[in-house]
Amino acid sequence: MRFRQVAMSGLIDAFEANARGAAATVDRIAGSPAAVRAAVESAVKDSPAIVLGPGEFLPSEIMNALVELPGLVHEPSDEMLSRADAGISSAFAGIASSGSVCVAMGPPLAAAASLLMPLHVVLLCANRIVERPRDLFTPTCLGGEGFGRNLVLITGPSATADMGPLVRGVHGPHQLRIFVLE
Amino acid sequence: MGTAQTQGAPVESPRAVANKSERQHLLKAIRMALSIESPAVRSNTQTFNRNRYRATGLLPDYDVLKDHARQIKARSIANLPQLIAQLEKTVRGRGGHVHLAAGAEEACRYVRDVCVRHGAKLVVKGKSITTEEIRLNHVLEAAGMEVAESDLAEFILQLADEQPSHVIAPAIHYSRERITALFKRKFQTDLPLDTGEELTKFAREILRGKFLHADIGITGANLVAADTGTLMLVESEGNIRMTSLLPPVHIAVVGVEKIIGRRQDMAPFVELLAASGTGQPLTSYTSFLSPPLDDPPFALPGKTHQVREFHLVLIDNGRMRMRDDSVFRETLYCIRCSACLNSCANFQAVGGHAFGGETYSGGIGGSWEAGTSKLENARFSELCTGCSRCVNQCPVRIDIPWLNENLRNRLNGAAETFLASGILTTITGASENDQSAPVSKLFFGNYHWFAEWGTRFAPFSNALARWRPARRAMERWLGLDRRRSLPPFPKRTLVSAANAEPLPRTDEAIAQAVLFADVFTNYGLVQRGLSTLRLLRELGVDVVVSESVPEGRAALSQGLLPTSAGYAQRAASLLDHYLDQDRDVVVIEPSSLAMFRRDARHLLDNPDQFERLRSRCFEPVEYIAKLMEKSGRSPRDFFDLGRSPVGKRVFYHSHCQQKTIGCAAPTEALLRAIGFDVATSSVECCGMAGSFGYKKDFYELSMAVGEDLFEQVRKAEEDGGPRALVASGTSCTEQFHAGMKRQVFHPVELLAAIVRPGGK
Repeated sequence: MRFRQVAMSGLIDAFEANARGAAATVDRIAGSPAAVRAAVESAVKDSPAIVLGPGEFLPSEIMNALVELPGLVHEPSDEMLSRADAGISSAFAGIASSGSVCVAMGPPLAAAASLLMPLHVVLLCANRIVERPRDLFTPTCLGGEGFGRNLVLITGPSATADMGPLVRGVHGPHQLRIFVLE
Repeated sequence: MGTAQTQGAPVESPRAVANKSERQHLLKAIRMALSIESPAVRSNTQTFNRNRYRATGLLPDYDVLKDHARQIKARSIANLPQLIAQLEKTVRGRGGHVHLAAGAEEACRYVRDVCVRHGAKLVVKGKSITTEEIRLNHVLEAAGMEVAESDLAEFILQLADEQPSHVIAPAIHYSRERITALFKRKFQTDLPLDTGEELTKFAREILRGKFLHADIGITGANLVAADTGTLMLVESEGNIRMTSLLPPVHIAVVGVEKIIGRRQDMAPFVELLAASGTGQPLTSYTSFLSPPLDDPPFALPGKTHQVREFHLVLIDNGRMRMRDDSVFRETLYCIRCSACLNSCANFQAVGGHAFGGETYSGGIGGSWEAGTSKLENARFSELCTGCSRCVNQCPVRIDIPWLNENLRNRLNGAAETFLASGILTTITGASENDQSAPVSKLFFGNYHWFAEWGTRFAPFSNALARWRPARRAMERWLGLDRRRSLPPFPKRTLVSAANAEPLPRTDEAIAQAVLFADVFTNYGLVQRGLSTLRLLRELGVDVVVSESVPEGRAALSQGLLPTSAGYAQRAASLLDHYLDQDRDVVVIEPSSLAMFRRDARHLLDNPDQFERLRSRCFEPVEYIAKLMEKSGRSPRDFFDLGRSPVGKRVFYHSHCQQKTIGCAAPTEALLRAIGFDVATSSVECCGMAGSFGYKKDFYELSMAVGEDLFEQVRKAEEDGGPRALVASGTSCTEQFHAGMKRQVFHPVELLAAIVRPGGK
């Protein structure tokens, strides 16, 4: 049990360092509804219109604390989706070696909240961090629940080197803020 | 960064020289690239290259991943017909449509018909080189549709009407300044577009509207799993996610070689592709999508949660024919990561508009062009020098130089036989099967014959080689550039000079070896041969010198495969005789050594013979380092730096093939252990690459590549003053002579000068 804890905290450290290396911002916060709510609220304080994706991989009390968020658009239209300012997702997994978050698409708004808005806020439970991308392909990983689903590994904000120097913020989000819930 | 000056180079549009079935087009394209595209290509590919070395170095199991990836590809290509059938069933079972298109036209027609059926006006595309291969945009545009390329590089190329010059960064030849100029011209705008951010914002705003209003989204795929119908889509900009998720209809156009058996088989490719391509742990987005989506991000007006329509268009277009070809089958293992482009010195200098065809470019590009269009379109693969730097970079271990040597062989075979070629084959001992090769190739591939006769008639032959009319004739008939000085033929070959050496006592020998008298040492740089001989004897090795025979490396590089196989067989039999006496084989010229360690596997009939030779062949300094290690004593016990004729400071440039077969590190390590202050080059190749730089057609390119190396020397000498130039390859030595006009030492020459007598 003790070994597991050591390994886990090593994974979180690696995840944090590598996600920062990919130009995401990472904050570790307590996994309580109040703490998550406060953190998310401050992250989206400059975003007038916010879209909340499904909270499949979060405890329900955390989702309940977020549905009251100011600026949250309930049942957004296509038009609203295309001009909203921030999207909030829960992550199916985190990957330590690359600092990626893995978002499962499928439930309404999951893909949209991770793609269409300039700011993408991701809530990742610390115990969902795995070591390497390949771990997601083992049927036993994270209870096997993601195996076979539509997934996207997101590593930092969207970026391009096609316009000369590296530019962050292209078609997808310009900013990726990750909260690791411990 | 220096670039070669090209006088009076006409500015050609890349499109005009995309088809290089004619040699003149290739030469024009090289001039165009050197005069316009070189600085951007160089800086961008070299960044990718550095990042790849770093990223792959961070993968603790890089070699295991490569083996695993290769196995998966080999198995998938072997089972391809079954996998196609399985995938068709899977996708149809999920409610998607599948069409297997035999050729480009059929594929385009199918896509067009789907679009027309939906009344499509706007089609948005994610980056897909396969749709470039089949020229899809023209067909859709001819049917009255607007096609919006959404990858920013493809967006640039669509504006400029150019073909891609790189498989993952199609507009890699565009500098920021040239993009600004292009946008200002095409959009007639006064907006400030002077930074990458401004340009990106400008393009993003145009494309956001396209994503939201497109009727059809077309993507490619990096891999497709037959068991689940999952597409793996790798990108950084987010445009492929938009294209595959937003429009009501998604069409994926995918070469059949991208099919693998199971979704879980994608695992090793996730990290390998990103590390080998852009040199990142992962790119921004790696999607695993099993369309059609039943829960799309957009509701679509009035059609809440409508299931999206999905079409998978599988492209054969020559691939099944490639699969039946025992050599070119390996091309289908390619995962299009671009590592072979970025690690190629010639590609770094000119990019894919010169080193590439209508669609595909770089080392692997020739095989793709030949396979998906016609053999003559692979003529640009002449720019593969066989330096082999790409070999260890390929994530699926494709022997890319071997593919290019085979392309050359087939192109040679497709030509008519000229009388001069017939005569050359007869007198040099080349294989009759190579007599349709051009005279120039027969000359360079059988250089040993000319070297042997040149040495017999030295110094007369050396005077002839300096006589201008003779050089003009050689340039005209043999393609040997007159600006290159030729290494003088020695008065005495290594073999005859070695016979005159006193024979040392051998009763207390610590090892037995044979020094292979390679052509370039025997008929050229004899001194390095003698230094090796004396050095090994001083260290207590019982060493003899072999007869000098060509090992076939030169012939191989010219695509003279039957000739090369004959030479390799003869050299291997000669060395077998010494191996039977339990002698190790020491080979000075790294390209000759590379033949025994790497290339001969394709040429020797008996794999055991190759294996024995491979495992017992050594580069001289590698061999000495092994002896030192065995003795358990410090190199400083054997060498006295105080006697160095060049002082402490050296600049060491290892040979390209030497690096590939792992023989560069021992030299660097030993020189450092002795106490030398060693600066090293980080270029992939000096640009000479055997005979490549001697050729009239490629002189400018060769010197442009060399400029990177010369610049590194100058940098290394900025602080602390001059360094002695040290190089292990014959052609690198010649390139240094040409570019820096300075004396060059082989490491064994330095070591022979500082060895303590009797190794004490």
